Amino acid sequence: MSHRSALAALGAAGLLLLSGCGGVPTAGPAPGSDQPTAAEAVYAEIGALNGAERRDRLMQLAAEEGKKLSIYTSLNADIADIVVPQFEQATGIDVDLYRADSETVLQRTLQEASAGFAGADVVETNATQMAIIAEEGLFGTYRSEYRDKVNEQFHYDAWTPTRFNIFAPAWNTNLVGPNLVPHSWKDLADPEYDGILSLEVSDYDWYMTLYTHFRQEGMSDAEIDQLFADIVKGAKVAKGHSGQVELLSAGEFGVIAASYTYLTEKARSSGAPVDDKPLVEPVVARANGAGLLRSSQHPAAAMLFLDWMLSDGQKIILENGLTPSVMPDGSDPLGDLKVLPVDVQQLIDEGSQWSARYDEVIRGGEQLPER
Amino acid sequence: MATLAPGAPGVLARTREALVRPRTLVAIGATLVIGYLALIPLVYLLLTTFTDATGAFSLDGFARAYGDPRIGQLIGNSLWFAAGSALVSLVVGTGLAYFNVRTDVPFKALFFAASIIPLVIPGILYTISWIFLASPTIGLLNSLLEPIFGPGTFNVFTIWGMIWVEGLHLSPIAFLFMVAAFRSTDPSLEESALMSGASRVQTFRRVTLPLVRPALLSAALIMLVRSLESFEVPALLGLQNGIYVFTSRIYQVLRGYPVDFAGAGALAVGLLALAALGVWLSNRAGGGSATITGKGFRPRPIDLGRWKPVVGVGILAYFFVTVLAPLMVLLYTALLPYYRPPSAEAFASMTLDNFIKVFNLPSVPTALKNSLVLGAGSATIVMALMAVAAWVVVRSDIPGRQILDHIAFSPLVIPGLVLGVGIAFVYLRSPLPIYGTLLILLIAYCTRYLPYGMRYAVSGMQTISTELEESAHVSGAGWWPTFRRVLLPLVAPALLAGWVYIFVVSFRELSSSILLYTPGNEVLSISIWELYANARFGELAALGVLMVLVLVVLVAIAYKVGARIGLKD
Repeated sequence: MSHRSALAALGAAGLLLLSGCGGVPTAGPAPGSDQPTAAEAVYAEIGALNGAERRDRLMQLAAEEGKKLSIYTSLNADIADIVVPQFEQATGIDVDLYRADSETVLQRTLQEASAGFAGADVVETNATQMAIIAEEGLFGTYRSEYRDKVNEQFHYDAWTPTRFNIFAPAWNTNLVGPNLVPHSWKDLADPEYDGILSLEVSDYDWYMTLYTHFRQEGMSDAEIDQLFADIVKGAKVAKGHSGQVELLSAGEFGVIAASYTYLTEKARSSGAPVDDKPLVEPVVARANGAGLLRSSQHPAAAMLFLDWMLSDGQKIILENGLTPSVMPDGSDPLGDLKVLPVDVQQLIDEGSQWSARYDEVIRGGEQLPER
Repeated sequence: MATLAPGAPGVLARTREALVRPRTLVAIGATLVIGYLALIPLVYLLLTTFTDATGAFSLDGFARAYGDPRIGQLIGNSLWFAAGSALVSLVVGTGLAYFNVRTDVPFKALFFAASIIPLVIPGILYTISWIFLASPTIGLLNSLLEPIFGPGTFNVFTIWGMIWVEGLHLSPIAFLFMVAAFRSTDPSLEESALMSGASRVQTFRRVTLPLVRPALLSAALIMLVRSLESFEVPALLGLQNGIYVFTSRIYQVLRGYPVDFAGAGALAVGLLALAALGVWLSNRAGGGSATITGKGFRPRPIDLGRWKPVVGVGILAYFFVTVLAPLMVLLYTALLPYYRPPSAEAFASMTLDNFIKVFNLPSVPTALKNSLVLGAGSATIVMALMAVAAWVVVRSDIPGRQILDHIAFSPLVIPGLVLGVGIAFVYLRSPLPIYGTLLILLIAYCTRYLPYGMRYAVSGMQTISTELEESAHVSGAGWWPTFRRVLLPLVAPALLAGWVYIFVVSFRELSSSILLYTPGNEVLSISIWELYANARFGELAALGVLMVLVLVVLVAIAYKVGARIGLKD
């Protein structure tokens, strides 16, 4: 009796949800209709304009929209808290800022889109999540002279890079003397790093990018596998890049295989004995970017923000230790560096295989030999 | 099937009569609210688990989740870790509760507050403090002991280290359960045992422990499930030496694209089955140990006599190692620009900058206010609902009442992100303007903490003998007066313990908060996450220290107030 009533209750509740909500949750966001939205008409109109004419028209339209803007981002609080007030001051637009990790920004955007809820006007987050939202057809087309200045290796159809995350090895200068500083990725396989090297558990995009690079250099898969096995041997696996840098400063680790340069720089500037210069090249770079939502209720304000972010905003990004996508003088911030861009399309198509493979590889790093 | 068939007029009439009784109405009301709260994420979880992208029935999620060749090893590690942590916290929590309630140890209010300190320290901070204390490379305890035992006495990066840290971090749950239980048991039974010649240890083992069995089982069950789901400790301590657990797997399937909700759901369904078994066993074994009877009693603290100094020193040592040492590390970290081992230079570089920065964080005042509102709100709502629900489960003869217990327990095993997405899914489509307000966070918190409220209330109710209600009945009191004036005061210690627990842990809820909050509705856990994500450990440690201070003051006040209105002793 009790089991039957439980099943009946569950079934009834399930039916209620289904009939009331008209779809199974895994069905994902309903593909938007092909009809251009009101926001897209604005994007098309303004996309053809430049300079003062463009800005004046955007300001006029933004005023008609009520001078409001909603941004979803994974930009650090320290920097977002500078960026947003300055934008508000420059334009008089009132910004609502939702901040979370990139996976949550993605989930929220997809959930709201599937319910037809217009939450965000602009989404700004990591490349992978941006590409997924783009693939769901949620972004409108953004054209501007600022976008054209971004490094060509990082041009994506529906979104535009606003900053770069750069992976490079970082080390504790008390534990790693000048003779032990790594100069290439392959150096990390040296047995001298056994016991002091740390890898991050979810860096499969870094792994995929380097692996593909070594292949292009003519190494066989067996050779590359051996190289990574040697890197992983004696390595300590950690979770979270920021925690890794904290433990590097404290001396728990001697070297981090792939640290975000901005986190290393932040620790260094607070006086911690850490460094990553000269950077090991080619650096692995992954874009973070912004896109304009097709469902936006404030398309002009959204466009104004992206224009501003790619011009004046870049200076704030640079001043706060991040890597901008365009230098304030219009030049390419990656110009002098050898760069391996993380291939976003490859990440979407093959990500789960690389993730599974990387998990296998780092498991080789378990159990430090007793010292 | 017979009961479902119409055409039995006698049954119908009796049913109608039963339905309009106030106790039935209240029971139905509470059941509906609990069912509504708990079933939304549960149904969402089951639907996503058993369907594929097109909405057709599918078991692929299970194949993906359990198809990993190492799943056996993962489950083995998980169970070993969970059982160990549950045992550590049970022993520690029970011991502390016993001394606090039953003996005349000094400084009881402080002792009480200190026992629940690990609860308020965010898991990430607590775990990192332990790395600073017991890492073989940089651990402070290891440096202290090196002259005597050589390098690397302790190694926190082992399964034992994980069990130790998790067990201590969970011990306040057991402590709160057992405090309530010890307050509700009649010490005269123990006194009789002692007078009949049993030793103190024998009495504790053969009289005291069986008396508090329902609370013990409830605490064990919750802690077992909690450690199976624990994330920070396995991630920060286990990975380093390749100790992978069940949750690493849930995290892994939730991070891919498209997010594998079916795979994560399949893993959660596994936990659900385990939890259902646990609830069933706990209710079976927990009944029949009612100790609060019509005979009045006054718990009198045992005079420890010549053992008093020994117990006192033991408790001080415990607090030094498990509470004070991690707190000192936090304070030390908070005073430095970045963490480094103690040295003259390190002490010279100390400033209060991190504390000043925390006070200047723009979102913290709003976040603190929202967290207080949500914590107090969800704790009050959940415990009020559970007072009735526990009566339904333990006392009433309503058919299928055990189902309520199982449903209320289910949110415990649903991953926070899935719970958040399930709630967002429903309220994004609801005509009520709840999405994007503080109310949706309140709903999420109430859902999340139903299981704890249920276990606290049920274990409290199981210790109360029916004879008191029967006497009230015989004296002419109806159900409501009996419930309000007899049952509620008796079960109050358990309800208060549950309230304190929910209030405190709600400050840490992150995974569904971060999905559901809107600008202006930030909560404290989001500020903590931001500091962590931005590698601002000094400020994070400072915030942790401040949270502990606030908690100690709040709990000490609650304890005093509780004493005055007779909830204590």
